[in-house]
Amino acid sequence: MAFGLRWSGTAAFLFTEVRLQIHDLLALSTATLVQAVLVVFVAVLAPDLLAFALVGAMAYSAFLIGQRLLNEAAYLRIDQRLNELYHASPMSPEAYFVGMATGMLVAYAPTVLVFVPLVQLVHPLGPLEWGVIAAVVLAVWVVSSALGYVISTLFKDMKTIWPYSSLLTNLLGIVPPVFYPIGLLPADVHVIALLVPTSAATAIAAHVAGLEPISGDALALAGAALSLQAVVLLFVGIYWARRSAREA
Amino acid sequence: MADPALRAEGVRKTYATRGGPAVEALRGVSLSVRRGERVALLGRNGAGKTTFLRIASTLLIPTAGTVEVFGRDAVSSPEAVRPLIAVVPQEGKPFFHLTPREQVYCYLRARGAGRDDATARTEEALERMGLDEVADRLSITLSGGQKQRVMVATVLATRAPLLFLDEPTIGLDPFARRAVWESLRRLTAAGSTILLTTHYLDEAEALSQRLFIVEQGRILVEGSAEELKREVGGTLRVSIPGGDALREELASFGPTVEDGGSVTVITGPERINEIMGLSVRAGLSATVGPVTLEEAFLRVVGRSIDED
Repeated sequence: MAFGLRWSGTAAFLFTEVRLQIHDLLALSTATLVQAVLVVFVAVLAPDLLAFALVGAMAYSAFLIGQRLLNEAAYLRIDQRLNELYHASPMSPEAYFVGMATGMLVAYAPTVLVFVPLVQLVHPLGPLEWGVIAAVVLAVWVVSSALGYVISTLFKDMKTIWPYSSLLTNLLGIVPPVFYPIGLLPADVHVIALLVPTSAATAIAAHVAGLEPISGDALALAGAALSLQAVVLLFVGIYWARRSAREA
Repeated sequence: MADPALRAEGVRKTYATRGGPAVEALRGVSLSVRRGERVALLGRNGAGKTTFLRIASTLLIPTAGTVEVFGRDAVSSPEAVRPLIAVVPQEGKPFFHLTPREQVYCYLRARGAGRDDATARTEEALERMGLDEVADRLSITLSGGQKQRVMVATVLATRAPLLFLDEPTIGLDPFARRAVWESLRRLTAAGSTILLTTHYLDEAEALSQRLFIVEQGRILVEGSAEELKREVGGTLRVSIPGGDALREELASFGPTVEDGGSVTVITGPERINEIMGLSVRAGLSATVGPVTLEEAFLRVVGRSIDED
């Protein structure tokens, strides 16, 4: 029970969340729509960047899982009041948050994995490269899930949440160099791009995949920023889950 | 002597509002619920019932006061209290894309029940709440009453020693309400303690062994429904719609309560003929019946329970 955290019930809630998400495969598949469209655009307009866009699509998909979690957590709290059922129970708030996040990951994993064979087809990679890509994709999921959960607790109605969710997805998923190489941006803004979790993940993945080599310093910055964000936001998410389980 | 199931002392809750005056939702609530008791908090909307229930069930931090559940401090040690409680939140809805069977089972598993135990308790709760026939339909396809019964079944299945139910029968049809009442009675017979909030007078009367009338964040009175009715000052009620003009004369027969334009006199059987005569002479109709909790509520609060 490190830091007084209790994980009992996490697996049961994970299963609950997976069951909830997979009831509608059409809704689930829409989580790949934007990436698919952008990849098609890149394939038509700049075919030599296709492999890059596919790798970026994986980072974007991972980010989107957290944004779906934002909507799910807000819906269960605001519309269903089911968070109260769980918070007034032996299952801890951290188990609720982590169970929901991992459940979303399991349910939405196909929206990331669908790009693996496409990347492999266009630009074959080895196990080491795939290992690094898996790590950065998971880091993006952690960052996005924690952000999503925290934001979900800040609003009192769903209609207010939707625009923020959309803003966050576009600001952190589309605008930064996720579907295009960081080298296309002016050098002055590279540091900013490497601090954004999605573009940091894409830069690292593209580097190890040999799609766009970046300097050692840039790689270190992106790696440090992403790792730090993942660790810090995981703790923030857990802290916030515990804090928000009881209204002050 | 064993600790009571719930003991609250001087519970206050004040909400800060942006740019406006602070709102005092609870103004020093003290109450005690014995083990195995069914107790209702009865009050109008906004009286503070839900605020108290949320504090007692560890979901809300009070501004001041103490709350103990089976002797454990619900304010400073909520983790120690949560295994002992289960809550049906107000306007809570089941997971729409789970079946009732899945909902109850998954919740029990999340609370730490083993597979076999969770399965058995799920089946029992579904049967008890009359949900067997819809147990494998997605909850989104169920009626409002059935959804509410799924919520109650979910909580009943936990067999937690203290259950909090916030307006548990709101929106239910009469059959479903009675099914819920019967289940709650059985649970207390088996040793569970229940604290529920309601603004249904008949529910408070039919279900609670003791009730607290809550108004503007305070408990005004406590007792059984029978005790509260006795304190009204008579055994019969004579209601005279449009009887405002006769108010002074009617007051000579016993305590009167007003609700809108209607005046109700609480009296004994020996005065009925006189009151009926008075109302007939004034060209008004009158109805006679036994004193209900409604009169007790009106007398204590000064307003009807339906009045906003």
